[in-house]
Amino acid sequence: MSVHLKLSRFNRIYRPSELLEGKIILKTQSSISHYGIRLTIKGSVNLQVRGGSAGVVESFYGVIKPIPIVKRTVEVKSSGKIGSGTTEIPFSLNLKQDENLERFYETFHGADISIQYLLTVDISRGYLHKSLSATTEFIIESDKGDLLQRPISPEMVIFYITQDTQRHPLLPELKSGGFRVSGKICTQCSLSSPINGELTVEASAIPIQSIDIQLYRVESILHGEKIVTETSLILTTQIADGDVCRNLTLPIYVILPRLLTCPTIFAGPFSIEFKVAIVISFQSELSKLHKKSDSRTPRLWLATETLPLELVRAM
Amino acid sequence: MEFRPRNYTTDNASHALPRVRADAHPLSAPPPPLAQLNVAVDSGNADFFDPLRGGADNDAKATPLHHRNLSEAAGDQPMKEWTSFRRLLMQKFPVSKMVSLSSMPDVLMRSGKSHEKSSTSMHLEELDDPQKFADEGAKVITWQEYVSRLHELKDEITRSWLAEDRVTSLKLSIQVAKLMVDTSVFEFYPTLFVLVTDIMDMLGDLVWKRIKRKAEFTEDGALVCNLAENFKASDICADAKETCYNWFSKIGAVQDLLPRIYLELAILPCWRFLLDQPIDSLQRLVMMTRGLGNPVASAYCRLYMAHCAQKLPSHDIGYLVTCVNDLRVILTQTSAANESTRGNFKNNKKFQISLMEPTIEYIMKCIFCGLSQRRINEVLLELGLMENRQNFGTVSCASIVLHHLLKELPIEVVISNVLHILHLIEFNKDSSYDQHLNYRLLGFRLYERKCPVDIVNAVLDKVMQVIAPYESLYAYLNVVDAYADLILQNHMDNHLDIILGGVSERASNGGVTEDEMPGLQSLMVKLLSHFECLEDVFCLDHFPEILDVMHGKSQDVVFLHILNMATSHIRDLTSIQLLFEISQTLHDNMEFMSVKDDDGQVARSVSRFVHTVDYGTEMEHHLAFLVDCRAAFGRFNELKETLVHSSNSLAIQSLKCAKKDLSFFKSCVTFSEVTIPSITGQRQFDLFLETAEVAFLGGLVSHLDGLIDSAIGCLCTVDKIDGFRTPADVEGLVSSIRKLCGFLVMVPGNINLPVTYFPNNLFTLISSQSWFDPKMRTQIFSAILLLLTTLSQKTLPYHANTEIPGNDMLYYGDSSYKQELVSLSKVVLENLICVVQQEPSKTARGSMALEACNCVASSFTLSNEVSSICLTLIETAKSCLSAQDRCLQSTIRLVNKQLPTFAGTMVSTSV
Amino acid sequence: MVLVLALGDLHIPHRAPDLPEKFKSMLVPGKIQHIICTGNLCIKEVHDYLKTLCPDLHITRGEYDEDSRYPETKTLTIGQFKLGLCHGHQVIPWGDLDSLAMLQRQLDVDILVTGHTHQFTAYKHEGGVVINPGSASGAYSSITYDVNPSFVLMDIDALRVVVYVYELIDGEVKVDKIDFKKTSTSLPAL
Repeated sequence: MSVHLKLSRFNRIYRPSELLEGKIILKTQSSISHYGIRLTIKGSVNLQVRGGSAGVVESFYGVIKPIPIVKRTVEVKSSGKIGSGTTEIPFSLNLKQDENLERFYETFHGADISIQYLLTVDISRGYLHKSLSATTEFIIESDKGDLLQRPISPEMVIFYITQDTQRHPLLPELKSGGFRVSGKICTQCSLSSPINGELTVEASAIPIQSIDIQLYRVESILHGEKIVTETSLILTTQIADGDVCRNLTLPIYVILPRLLTCPTIFAGPFSIEFKVAIVISFQSELSKLHKKSDSRTPRLWLATETLPLELVRAM
Repeated sequence: MEFRPRNYTTDNASHALPRVRADAHPLSAPPPPLAQLNVAVDSGNADFFDPLRGGADNDAKATPLHHRNLSEAAGDQPMKEWTSFRRLLMQKFPVSKMVSLSSMPDVLMRSGKSHEKSSTSMHLEELDDPQKFADEGAKVITWQEYVSRLHELKDEITRSWLAEDRVTSLKLSIQVAKLMVDTSVFEFYPTLFVLVTDIMDMLGDLVWKRIKRKAEFTEDGALVCNLAENFKASDICADAKETCYNWFSKIGAVQDLLPRIYLELAILPCWRFLLDQPIDSLQRLVMMTRGLGNPVASAYCRLYMAHCAQKLPSHDIGYLVTCVNDLRVILTQTSAANESTRGNFKNNKKFQISLMEPTIEYIMKCIFCGLSQRRINEVLLELGLMENRQNFGTVSCASIVLHHLLKELPIEVVISNVLHILHLIEFNKDSSYDQHLNYRLLGFRLYERKCPVDIVNAVLDKVMQVIAPYESLYAYLNVVDAYADLILQNHMDNHLDIILGGVSERASNGGVTEDEMPGLQSLMVKLLSHFECLEDVFCLDHFPEILDVMHGKSQDVVFLHILNMATSHIRDLTSIQLLFEISQTLHDNMEFMSVKDDDGQVARSVSRFVHTVDYGTEMEHHLAFLVDCRAAFGRFNELKETLVHSSNSLAIQSLKCAKKDLSFFKSCVTFSEVTIPSITGQRQFDLFLETAEVAFLGGLVSHLDGLIDSAIGCLCTVDKIDGFRTPADVEGLVSSIRKLCGFLVMVPGNINLPVTYFPNNLFTLISSQSWFDPKMRTQIFSAILLLLTTLSQKTLPYHANTEIPGNDMLYYGDSSYKQELVSLSKVVLENLICVVQQEPSKTARGSMALEACNCVASSFTLSNEVSSICLTLIETAKSCLSAQDRCLQSTIRLVNKQLPTFAGTMVSTSV
Repeated sequence: MVLVLALGDLHIPHRAPDLPEKFKSMLVPGKIQHIICTGNLCIKEVHDYLKTLCPDLHITRGEYDEDSRYPETKTLTIGQFKLGLCHGHQVIPWGDLDSLAMLQRQLDVDILVTGHTHQFTAYKHEGGVVINPGSASGAYSSITYDVNPSFVLMDIDALRVVVYVYELIDGEVKVDKIDFKKTSTSLPAL
């Protein structure tokens, strides 16, 4: 005896104005009677706070009450009997309703913030039998009408990274010999297209070990009086491996991962922002002694340029 | 018993066919031109159909052209080329037994098989190996282990895929692609590349098929549509596109650059499910490859790109041009860095470039394959090589790139841009490729097609000027060897003088090393092939000096070439001397350097040379030359035969002179006589016989008996080399023995010896040597019988020397002489009949009986004795052969005719 | 009509450097359908040269041939004629009509071609025709060193054979012909 949900779309992506369609698939070897089959849509922003912001010695960890987006239960079948074998019960549900609590944020799976939409089926069978249920996650993407109306700015931010742009100490020979890496990168980016840009190593006194593009999420939560902000790495993409030729332009091309990214949000109780960092590692004996753990830690052999990245849902 | 009398003269005269002058004969007609021939055939007029001309027509069979399905062939071609290219690549860089790696990737460890359980929802972290920085320090693994591990991985990938666990397949593939990052073992890298890309190709194929299936079938397996060969992205359903997009996203999320590029290349054709113009991705991938700092890794990555791009239905070669331009930058920068380094590191760089060479070669091939003239010009422009036509000196193009460009450019383009190319070669003098090799290549290219003389002149003037300061003989030779054909073809004698002088000067300064020898050999062989006459070559300035500095195998090759050029009479004494010395060197090299002369080529060539020498009337000198040869070339058995033939021929030649010099003649015969015993094998018999014949022709009776004795004596020693005899050799020897009988017809008896001395000796010897089988004995005994019969005649059928009386004169009317012949023939005949019966094989016995019967019937006159012998032999033949046997029938007819009274018996017996 | 070139006893290079130039210029590829060579070529180069004239080449072995794989005798059928080939040094006495007839009976051929004597001869006897093309290079023989180079070209057409004799005498090629038919008498009665 099993039940599961099958959504109409292979990728499980729906827009708030659309109908959520699919089938309840029930497999049973003998016929069963039930007291109604109900579907529940539940969407919420889940927040958690961990660690401390600067200055707080003792760490705190706490779950903050989730912010509900939608919660609705619909009975697709009133009580009755279901025959043996496989039974498919199609359903079609409106996502949006007038009494919506919050706007439909896009699905996002972050470290501290998670925006999730779940569909649950429940078949209650009275007190004697355990009720059957199954849950599946579906993904919300913004409605076309809610899309950014202005075009995505085609402009790119031009950056220079030299020994002088670094605020942390560098290897002495790097400091004295110098280096210069220039490039441009888009800082407003559609979720459906990659982060584009280019980068050129113009000079470097020390051979380059690697150049990586790092994508960060910056999650902020209003916790009491304070805003707790956590920055974490989503994705590292190497664009140069080894001491590349000088003055040859390298492309920056990073496909944004689904679920792990969403449009930049500034809501009252929380915000989700993104940053992109260009990290240049220089060849150094010292670097071998350290595990490549957190590249945000300033190191003597690293040079970094971090830029804010606005992600938008566009056509 | 009585010999049947013969009159050879009248017999011959009565049977000779009448002979008349032929006014027209088949060889008188000049060979007609082909066109005329066709007309003649087409006319169908039998009168004009000349059989001789018809023959020419028959000969010119047109071989039917093998038609190929061109479009089909064209499609397979790149992949076939790739397969053979991969094989060549592995052959070019063989792998030593052990591979030492800078770090041991987990994927190669057998223990590392425990992969985390894959989940259908894939998290990005899982794709990357968390243990990126594995243990430092070199790890050693045998290359077989490495390869077998890769084969295992390939199997694992397939297995996972079949188990619907595609995430694991991808993860493993990423691990495999990562192996390409390690370039620490240079010589292993090409092999690794072949192995890894094989797995990449397999994965790409699996993904392609999966998405195609998604596009063509529903989830339940129902056919939705059949994708055409040239489908559009719009033909693909959303689900398939989604899957395809996921693959690109998953691969795009691979952290490391190199595996990310390899994997995207592997599934590059899948872009077609998403885009109608996947070429943009290719351009991006070219740019991404620039991020690979290791020149070797980046070059091989581009190689894989060139391969994968061929799977796209049509692709512009623009991306390849970018590849080449990037490679140029890389090479220029690495070789610039090279200047400051030295020693080991420099060698390393050199090897690095040699590793990169095949990739440049392949990419160049891809660019110029089937390119239009217009597009070629565009490509040259895109490569930046056509800019600054007025100011060539500023275009920088790594010399190795230039080399392969020059190799692939169509010859017309080379010719029309030759001065420009010369400037490019001149300007690009970097360490990536030796500049002289580019000059060399240009020389070879220009010889591909007949070039205008002014261009050849201009190029040669320039090249001569460039190479004049070369100090290295190696480089100098490399260049001049390539231009030698052009120089010879255009009869540029001044240049020829200069290059020979140049070679000679450099060779005498520093000697010639082993490396330089092949170049020198090539040049010399070109010269020799160009000039038909040896004298012309030796007239060239410096040629003899250059010949002097040659040694080793190359010397042998050139010497042999020279020897083989000596095909017509060599009269010039210096030439003879030179060729003799050359032969001697070749001979001695075999003697002392144990150089193998497998096919006897050297021995044969020296023999030909000895034959070709012609001292004209200076026959004494010629004989002296033969004596020298015998002393110098003791190792060549075949040559000693040649010497005997030559001295015999010389002896005959002396006889033809008006003033006969008998002592010279005698010297020649003596020379032969003395030389023959040193020859091994059964040739001795024939040579003794030839010498005996020659001696007899010259009337040298004193030597004659000794020579015949020696010949018969050989037969005893032949027995000792039993093991070497083949059936053909034995057959030949029997024929030669029979020939001796033919010769003995002429040989006059010696007062001191019995009249049947030689036939008797021969008979006794054959009878005593057990290895003569019945068949051989039958033939030889028959021959002896025929000899004795001939000797009994009033007039012999032939005399070689009219000054020496034959036995017909010596024993004219001597009844005891005839008696001796008869008594010997009786003994021989008895043995003959006996021997026939000893033959075990029935058919052989039958033909032997017939042979003996023929012999008896034509040798003796009618008598009871003879009749009964013939009868017995015929009976034997009848019992062994079919009655229809043609020879049996004709023999019976002969016997009936020769022995008429015998006929009655025959008829009665046959009824 | 079939042209058969018969030649032998070239003894190249032992007794003659090459074929006479005049012969070589007449013998061009494509005219001849068969070559029969009695032997004593003696080297491979001569074999190769003959092969260029006509690929259908039949050779028997002379006592000085480098290639010992040639057979002692060989028979072949051209049109209605059966031809036999043998060098002839093993026929005693050399060139004797009776002895050749004996060989002809053994081989059962209409035309027997032999060499060795370096003298052109053509005989007809009850058993058939015996032809000796002489020495194509004029090499000295066991009997004489006064030899005119000669060879034979047989034009075989149905039952008729025209034998052309090419002989180099004092630097000039002299061509004679002999005409004969295969008559019932030359056929063994059955």
